[in-house]
Amino acid sequence: MGKLYLVCRLAVRDIRHRPAQAVLLLLAIATGAATLTLALAIQGTTNNPYGRTQAATNGPDVVAEVLPGPGPAGPAPAGAGELAPLEHAPGVTAHSGPFPVTWTTLQAGRTTAGAEVEGRSTAPSPVDQPRLSQGTWVRPGGVVVEASFANALGLHAGDRLSIGGSSFTVAGIAVTAAVPSYPQACAIGCFNSTPYNPGLVWATQADAGHIAHAAAPGPVAWLLNLKLTDPAAASAFVSRYDAVASPGAPSLYSWQSIRDGDAQVIANMQLVLFTGSWLLALLALASVAVLVGGRMAEQTRRVGLLKAVGSTPRLVAVVLLCEHVLVGLCAAGLGLLAGWLAAPLISGPGAGLLGAPNAPAVSGAAVGLVIALAVGVAIAATFVPAIRAARQSTVAALEDSARAPRRRTAVIRLSAHLPATLLLGARLVARRPRRLVLSVFSVAVTASGLVAVLVLHATAAGWSFGPRVTQATTIVSVTLVVLAAVNAVFIAWTTAVETQHPAALARALGATPAQITAGLSAAQLLPALAGALLGIPGGIGIYDAAKNGGTTTIPSALWLAVMVAGTLLAVAVLTAVAAHIGARRPVNEVLQAEAA
Amino acid sequence: MQQEVVLALLAKEPSYGYQLRSRLQQALGPVGDEMNAGQIYVTLSRLEKAGVVSCEQAPGLPDRPDRKVYALTAAGQQRVTEWITDVRWPGAGLAEFHLKLIAAAAGGLADPLAVIEAQRGELLRRLRDAQRAAMAEPDGSEAAPLLEGIVLRLQADLRWLEACERYWTGWKDRP
Amino acid sequence: MNDTNDTSVVRARGLRKEYGRDAGRVRAVDGVDLDVAAGETVAVMGPSGCGKSTLLHLLGGLDRPSAGEVWLGGQRVDRLSERALARLRCDAIGFVFQAFQLMDELTSVENVELPALLAGRSPRAARRLAADLLERVGLADRATFLPAALSGGQRQRVAVARALVNQPAVVLADEPTGNLDSAATVEVLRLFETLHVAGQTLIIVTHDSRIAATADRMISMRDGALTDETRLTGGTSGKLADTAGLGG
Repeated sequence: MGKLYLVCRLAVRDIRHRPAQAVLLLLAIATGAATLTLALAIQGTTNNPYGRTQAATNGPDVVAEVLPGPGPAGPAPAGAGELAPLEHAPGVTAHSGPFPVTWTTLQAGRTTAGAEVEGRSTAPSPVDQPRLSQGTWVRPGGVVVEASFANALGLHAGDRLSIGGSSFTVAGIAVTAAVPSYPQACAIGCFNSTPYNPGLVWATQADAGHIAHAAAPGPVAWLLNLKLTDPAAASAFVSRYDAVASPGAPSLYSWQSIRDGDAQVIANMQLVLFTGSWLLALLALASVAVLVGGRMAEQTRRVGLLKAVGSTPRLVAVVLLCEHVLVGLCAAGLGLLAGWLAAPLISGPGAGLLGAPNAPAVSGAAVGLVIALAVGVAIAATFVPAIRAARQSTVAALEDSARAPRRRTAVIRLSAHLPATLLLGARLVARRPRRLVLSVFSVAVTASGLVAVLVLHATAAGWSFGPRVTQATTIVSVTLVVLAAVNAVFIAWTTAVETQHPAALARALGATPAQITAGLSAAQLLPALAGALLGIPGGIGIYDAAKNGGTTTIPSALWLAVMVAGTLLAVAVLTAVAAHIGARRPVNEVLQAEAA
Repeated sequence: MQQEVVLALLAKEPSYGYQLRSRLQQALGPVGDEMNAGQIYVTLSRLEKAGVVSCEQAPGLPDRPDRKVYALTAAGQQRVTEWITDVRWPGAGLAEFHLKLIAAAAGGLADPLAVIEAQRGELLRRLRDAQRAAMAEPDGSEAAPLLEGIVLRLQADLRWLEACERYWTGWKDRP
Repeated sequence: MNDTNDTSVVRARGLRKEYGRDAGRVRAVDGVDLDVAAGETVAVMGPSGCGKSTLLHLLGGLDRPSAGEVWLGGQRVDRLSERALARLRCDAIGFVFQAFQLMDELTSVENVELPALLAGRSPRAARRLAADLLERVGLADRATFLPAALSGGQRQRVAVARALVNQPAVVLADEPTGNLDSAATVEVLRLFETLHVAGQTLIIVTHDSRIAATADRMISMRDGALTDETRLTGGTSGKLADTAGLGG
């Protein structure tokens, strides 16, 4: 019992001794934990917004669509008649439509977007009557915009817009279960020739006809909504139909696939968050490793003292681990709290579906996973130093307050040919090769994240992923960059502190402070470049692994170059600042302090 | 008993024999306890014969050496002054230099710090010579240990002078 | 201030260095005047804490004085920028420290050539200079050894070689034998003697009287101020025989 108390006391005392480092460690791990919590919380969403919407709008069980087919002089208009047999197919109890659908461009204010215009009667339909959240139903000159589309464009009832060149008023905003919400409207088949990812707009049949004629090119497709006796059998219904359907026949979509289209939006966001949190966890690992590694000098001596007063190597390792596990636990708690609070903000079903009153829950399993990971990161980074410290002989630990740098003959020989600044930089930085590896790793992880985002944008190119996913992507990217910057500062600062002594000696021998600063900065650029270049295949690989289907477009060389250049600039500046601060201390102070 | 020491103790003012003895005891501490009690009177009578000290019988006191009054003559004064500035080494040993400082301070003959300083300079010069001689000796020379001994002794003496300097700094302000 | 006697390599006037504030103010160096001529060896001795190391740092540009002037080879140096001071340390001053301050991961010759490389010499020229100097201090056969493989005396000799590589006007040594045992001290002693004979200007701070005895002048320091000066050149008034106890 006494040992446990002692261990805890030593651990807490040490944390209190260096509060800044403990706080930084905490923040690093907490960020990763928060993102992970967010991702898990969204997954745990158990409410059923689609079902609610389906009930409220009397949504269809099956949607049939016939698209324009290939013709001798371009696409030929579809025939609504092809849908007729389905209206009375076995298992069908009710139907609405066929409704004409056309695709064209939409202009709202300064924004241009794509619109899928569905012609409806002013009277309510028996199947799929969109539920209004604002305004009134379609009327001549007045259109109704699907809710998530309206949200993306910032439209409200009463706004004016122009569709296919003609001017209209927004009569109302509504939700539907028959078509997936924006931006997944084309999950059930579009014939879109505009460069934009369309959103759904309802208009009167007459208005829709006008738009169809005006749109160039704009053959009309037809939509039919069906209600089945057995809604659960909708997929089976669709499969049976598909088995005997001829090419050119109408396509059928079950309500499950429509729901999945909606879910795709959330799934995308979750993907972004999951990938982001893994990247952040890796970065956090790097931060922790740098921090812990930077403190190894004092730790070794402390370990020696502990051993000299009689504690076993195992106890020593336990104290070290305990410290970092403590910080890891606090970080996990902080991250869980932050994630739990932030989850409702971005995990709502989206404007396109009716939401649920209660916030998404963070399940017990999620809590367990986050804690385990946070603690795992802390242990992983401490593992090697702890084991080494425990194994080292006591006398060696006491005498040798810092690991002596290993000799790098190649670096020494080569650097002799460089100008003084680079000579100093190369030799100073080469003393700690492990830290060099960590900085390459850290930059590579960040670069991968940024490249993955670039790939995302390049692949979408005009097909936006919706405001919520964009929001999530932005949050993750920003957090990634911030954490990477913090990491870079850590590394630069630890390097500057650690090279204080040889740098002071170099100054006593005639190097100017400017040479030291520039040298340290320049020497960090090569690993940063390596990391940034590694990030390019890394980011593409991450996107490939994470996406489910679809192509991967490699971003333009310009953007990649910008990313690499930006990274180098940031590293150079951060290192220079840290080194500059370190080079200000009078030489004699540093030399005497170390010699004492 | 070093003659010059006794002379210097008389430099300030004439003293009774027993006063001189107690003064010596104070200066030498336990080292003085080992001394023969009557040693000082033998020295005093020799000094009287040499004419550097005068001796008077105090009226009304028995005719014993410790009750006589001793004083410096002019020749004695001269000898004391020469002795103070003499930087020969090692002389009669530690006690002599120690008493030199005490006598110089007590009798107002010289500032002890100046005496130490002068001696230090001399010792450093000697150390220089001794070092040079030691380094010039070929390896394995028979005389090498002797020279090394000289160097080490001089070093030790210089360290002692530092200790003396520490003691005598601010001696005037002491009660 | 126009001095007619301008042969001094190092000159200080009214040098003062203070630390702390108000009640805690400490005067490490208090009004020091110093002249060191070319080719002279000057030893500064004093009890620990008397400010002699601080004085050396001020003379060598490793620290800035609170007041006073420092002249090096006729040039005023206490007001120079950090950059100019660094250049000065490169070209005109050589430092020898108590703790040797060699880079652990460099061999002897690489340690010695470092200031030459910093001064902009080609690697080959620097290497040649370094090898020559190691020869001069008697460590040519240890050129490829790391400091960890050298004894204390050998390390300090490498440090002295390093201090000489750019042919400085003055070599400043701060307690050069402080970390050495008696035998190693003799090694360094010999080296300083040869430097002196070769005409190198040396300022040595020490509390070892053996080192001080190699100087032309010994200056005592106490509480930040110079107290007295002893000329050590010139004959002694006694002989070895006297000191050894063979009285004459």
